[in-house]
Amino acid sequence: MKPTDGDQDGNSRRSFLLSSGGLLSSVWIVAHWPAIAAAAHHAESVSAVAEPRIEFFDDAAAADVEAISAQIVPSGATPGAREAHAVYFIDRALATFFSDWSHDFRAGLAEFQSGYRAANPASPSFAKAGPDAQIAYLKTADRTPFFETVRTLTLLGMFSSPQYGGNYRGSGWKMMGFADQHAFTPPFGYYDREYIGFVPYSSAEKHS
Amino acid sequence: MTRQFKPNETVDFAVVGSGAAGGVMARELSQAGFTVVAFEQGPRLGPADFEHDELKYFFLSGITVDPKVSPQTFRKNPNVVAKAAQGVQPALYARLVGGSSVHYTANFWRFHEIDFKERSVLGSIPGTAFADWPITYQELEPYYTKVEWEVGVSGLAYASPFDPPRTKPYPMPPLPVKSSGVLLERGARKLGLHPFPAPMAIASQPFRGRPACVHCGFCMGFGCEARAKSSSLYTVIPEAEATGRCEVRANSYVFQVATNPAGRATGVHYFDADKREHFQKARAVVLSANGAETSRLLLNSTSTRFAQGLANSSGMVGKHLMFNQGASAHAVFEHELNEYKSVQVTRILHDFYDADPKRGFYGGGGIDGRINPQPALWAMSSGGELPRWGADLKARIEAFPRSMVSTGHTTSLPVETNSVSIDPTLKDAWGIPAIRVTYQDHPDDLAFARFLQDRQVEIMQAAGAQKVWRDEVQENEAGVHLLGTCRMGNDPVTSVIDKYHRTHDVPNLFLCDGSSFVTSGRGQPTMTIQALAFRAADHIGQFAKRNEI
Repeated sequence: MKPTDGDQDGNSRRSFLLSSGGLLSSVWIVAHWPAIAAAAHHAESVSAVAEPRIEFFDDAAAADVEAISAQIVPSGATPGAREAHAVYFIDRALATFFSDWSHDFRAGLAEFQSGYRAANPASPSFAKAGPDAQIAYLKTADRTPFFETVRTLTLLGMFSSPQYGGNYRGSGWKMMGFADQHAFTPPFGYYDREYIGFVPYSSAEKHS
Repeated sequence: MTRQFKPNETVDFAVVGSGAAGGVMARELSQAGFTVVAFEQGPRLGPADFEHDELKYFFLSGITVDPKVSPQTFRKNPNVVAKAAQGVQPALYARLVGGSSVHYTANFWRFHEIDFKERSVLGSIPGTAFADWPITYQELEPYYTKVEWEVGVSGLAYASPFDPPRTKPYPMPPLPVKSSGVLLERGARKLGLHPFPAPMAIASQPFRGRPACVHCGFCMGFGCEARAKSSSLYTVIPEAEATGRCEVRANSYVFQVATNPAGRATGVHYFDADKREHFQKARAVVLSANGAETSRLLLNSTSTRFAQGLANSSGMVGKHLMFNQGASAHAVFEHELNEYKSVQVTRILHDFYDADPKRGFYGGGGIDGRINPQPALWAMSSGGELPRWGADLKARIEAFPRSMVSTGHTTSLPVETNSVSIDPTLKDAWGIPAIRVTYQDHPDDLAFARFLQDRQVEIMQAAGAQKVWRDEVQENEAGVHLLGTCRMGNDPVTSVIDKYHRTHDVPNLFLCDGSSFVTSGRGQPTMTIQALAFRAADHIGQFAKRNEI
């Protein structure tokens, strides 16, 4: 499989020092420079993104897993699991840090595929079915341990650090509205913007 | 360069553990003029080693106890065989210099006066070993103040009507309020409750050579990259080393406390990073290894004289484990909160801190408003009516910036069968018998957590949430608060240590960490662990100077 986009340099933390000028006052940056510089330097060193490649799955398995993950978090106006390269994360996880899960995953996938073929003899594979057919079949399979594992790995792949192969160019974080920066300044949100400050309780309230 | 001791050199104190309590012990004893080696199982890491990497820290045991090398077993019932725990370990702690103070959330509530005398006020509770502490709040107060001023806590004194007495204000003002704090305060005040700025062990301004928080949002479960979190790693440990009398020995796993025929501790056996065994001689030993590992170490330190484990003539070592309970109420609001920014908590309330017999069950607790878990954990949360996949799940995920959680932090009762013990068959990667956790919440613990969750839901609704939902209150099968397993008391038949943290059985062996607790408090134990450590070190130092060890 090939990634849908070639640029892998999507970690916003790498460009923190350059991009923060509009966000943070220069006085504040000077005051906090040592801590920010240390953190940003470290982010630079860990932000290398894995070369996207499929090792654990064959093409058919990768296509089916990607199709399932794309129904778990569908594409649309904002990125879904497919655009976030969740399948690359899943492949890498099963080949490396979650290799303990690989045997059960293969068995679960085989059962899922055979179940799909039995229910849809005219369809060559789950991946090649239309979205309505995919959703209809997943509704019969979404309480299985296999589906739960794909769900877990899809969400980890979408929202973990891009260095693990998913969350392509931070697309998962962008979709959910999470900004990966090393420093923020108040106000942080809408409701603390107009906060008037803590109003102490009266003596009567304190002794009520 | 910090002092290095040779194992055959007899030091004054071997301190096992370098976390919240061990770090304080190391600093206080070395500053008092004693030589100290502080042992730490894990590595020494620093700001440049810590990352905003949720997968590593929450799913790959980045700095926490790793089941692949340090497995544990779990069971609910003492009459069944415990099974190896998968994933999160039942006694979860951080394994590096600084211990769990590196990854804690940094909520630093003092206990209240009632915590130390609840048994006398409320009476006994069937099926529990509910008891008073042998010390009072007033005895501990100077040491709470010491934690605030020498470790570093930000807060607003006298803000809560329910605060216990204090002799000094906080050294730093509260951290800037977040939208979750504003909304918790809005809802709670509407209901006649008394929210106030949360005391946090995070620097709100430059403090004792450390910078102020930069509000990156990665506190709970992560090491602080800015050194603003007041972890032992950044506070008491370097100050201990600066005395020239303390060595922090990382990657050194103590597996047995040695004793002589006279029943005195003589030092500790440990493995180095290459699994080579060593013995460090010491005049006295202090165990601050956390409420699970301190018990395990004692139970694994058997000898002819101490056949059922060291300091265990009472049979109480490992018993009365308390995890704390609590539950969450989730809420979505109209506008963005962006709770992923800055520290986890900025407002709390203690209106329900005290137990009330009229409720029909025991329990007390505090409520906070806080950040959601980090992105992946938040997206993965499920249960109840939450969508599990498809467009509905995506819509829920996209509400992340408009969401918050109100979390309850509540009591656990001391039940004798809830325990840390030695698994009869499982061993760790060093061949040392593993931890077995037996735990089932007392019914009152669950009842109070549900009671408080109802209040949390009411507050979120009063704050104007568009949607509120709750996690189901679940029985604990794991905990990060490891409390009560070597309880303090005046009676050697029912407790393990005396009020000065000296074991009843071994005159030169002291225990100080969460294991010393008699009751659980309301879910934020580290402040009290550190206050106890300052107090214990004060007394231990005086004993040592008078040759009473």
